[in-house]
Amino acid sequence: MTDWLWGLFQQWGLGEPAFNAFMGLIKGVLVVAFLAVNALLLIYLERKVSGYIQNRLGPTRTGPKGLLQTLADAVKLLSKEDVIPSGADRAVYILAPIVIFAAATALWIVIPFGPQTMVQDLNIGLIYISAVTGLSVLAFLMAGWSSNNKWSLLGSMRSAAQLISYEVPLVLSIVAVGMMAGSLRLGDIVAAQQGGIGNWFIFPQILGFIVFFTAGLAEINRAPFDLPEAESELVAGFNTEYSGFRWGVFFVAEYANLVAFSALAATFFFGGPTGPVLPPFVWFLIKTYFFILVAMWIRWTLPRIRVDHLMNLGWYVLIPLALINLGWTGLYVVLRG
Amino acid sequence: MDLSRVTFLTLAALATVSAFRVVTASKIMHAALWLGFTFLMVAGVFLTMGAEFLAAAQVLIYVGAVTTIILFGIMLSEAAEVRGGRDPVAPTTPKGPAIIRRFILPIVATLAFAAIMIFVYSQAPWPDASAAPAGDTVRLLGSALFTDYVVPFELAAVLLLVALVGAIAIAVRDDHKEEQG
Repeated sequence: MTDWLWGLFQQWGLGEPAFNAFMGLIKGVLVVAFLAVNALLLIYLERKVSGYIQNRLGPTRTGPKGLLQTLADAVKLLSKEDVIPSGADRAVYILAPIVIFAAATALWIVIPFGPQTMVQDLNIGLIYISAVTGLSVLAFLMAGWSSNNKWSLLGSMRSAAQLISYEVPLVLSIVAVGMMAGSLRLGDIVAAQQGGIGNWFIFPQILGFIVFFTAGLAEINRAPFDLPEAESELVAGFNTEYSGFRWGVFFVAEYANLVAFSALAATFFFGGPTGPVLPPFVWFLIKTYFFILVAMWIRWTLPRIRVDHLMNLGWYVLIPLALINLGWTGLYVVLRG
Repeated sequence: MDLSRVTFLTLAALATVSAFRVVTASKIMHAALWLGFTFLMVAGVFLTMGAEFLAAAQVLIYVGAVTTIILFGIMLSEAAEVRGGRDPVAPTTPKGPAIIRRFILPIVATLAFAAIMIFVYSQAPWPDASAAPAGDTVRLLGSALFTDYVVPFELAAVLLLVALVGAIAIAVRDDHKEEQG
């Protein structure tokens, strides 16, 4: 398919840059489409899962088994009036959802859908992931500041404090994965875990996985770490003033991050998109959706933790654990030879 | 002009314009955001030169950490002129000695700095641009850091640790004062 397109481009007398740009565009559209479809599905899934956990039905009316409920909500959001608060810092207010969506999408460049299938297998994959996840803090701060609302400001300050605290253990646990694979490239990390469950990184990295999963949940603002938008105390946190389409963008970015985080958990510790019989992409979906369901289960089971407990958990528990894991990983890699 | 040159010039122009906006923006919040954008564009320039690691580190540290800390600092600040908002400090036309302080001195300092930089750039013997090392630059960088440059690397690490401890010591001392007062 790629060869055929390349032939077509040569026929039209277009060079390699044009071809690369065209391929990049196609990949980008595919990723955004994948994220949009997943966000639609996940919102429905979240409602159904929370309904199941709370012993109720969830959406049932719109479409068969309520499947079209999210679509109806999306239409509602799109048709709403576009409100910008009068005291808002307009440019920053408008930019914030764009920045957060860009950061959420940029993460997907390196996520492997198959052993060799990803937008670009960067040789700095792991550092790239740490760098891009840090960008969303900026968007939270922009949204909170520009709304000119005390709840938004408090929410965004919390999110900044939380994300800065939890980025440290997250990056430390990712570093250990890189040490195990001997490479920062995600393709190599997947390759290093091939050949059966025994090669998965979860066994030597069980501590690293616990740190990664906990810090990751905090990094994507999922309950019980959703303090930036704690609705019982901060109305809706950093996006209090956002409504309609702009609010929808925040929401889609949040779910895109949830899928990315689950896919990364599967890639780093559970062999990534590989497995017997079924094609890699199906394994990718199975493993990713397993972690998505675990994240939803946690969200609807545990109460939100208090802000000082959150900080203590990060600095006194997760960072020491991540450091111990780093030392152990070094030992393991040396002993393994 | 080939594509890489166009990319470089675009990134460089955007970096320059946003750097200019950093110093001219009236709201300090906007200045900080422009600064973040400048860092991002510089990371792009690194990418065009094949320095992926440097670009990622630039985004990770400068955009992700430094800009965030600056924004955080602005938000936590009590001073109205830092926070901006409802009544920013009205720009006044300086008179008397203030003219020297606010117009002449900055211009003199800028021109002097520019003269020094131009002198240095024109005199310095620039090494020939060596070909960027092919292959896994991250691996090369890592082994260089831990073999040839291990002492400076460790010294930098110790320096950062000292700065960290010092910052905590200062912050804690302030806390005590508040409790007593």
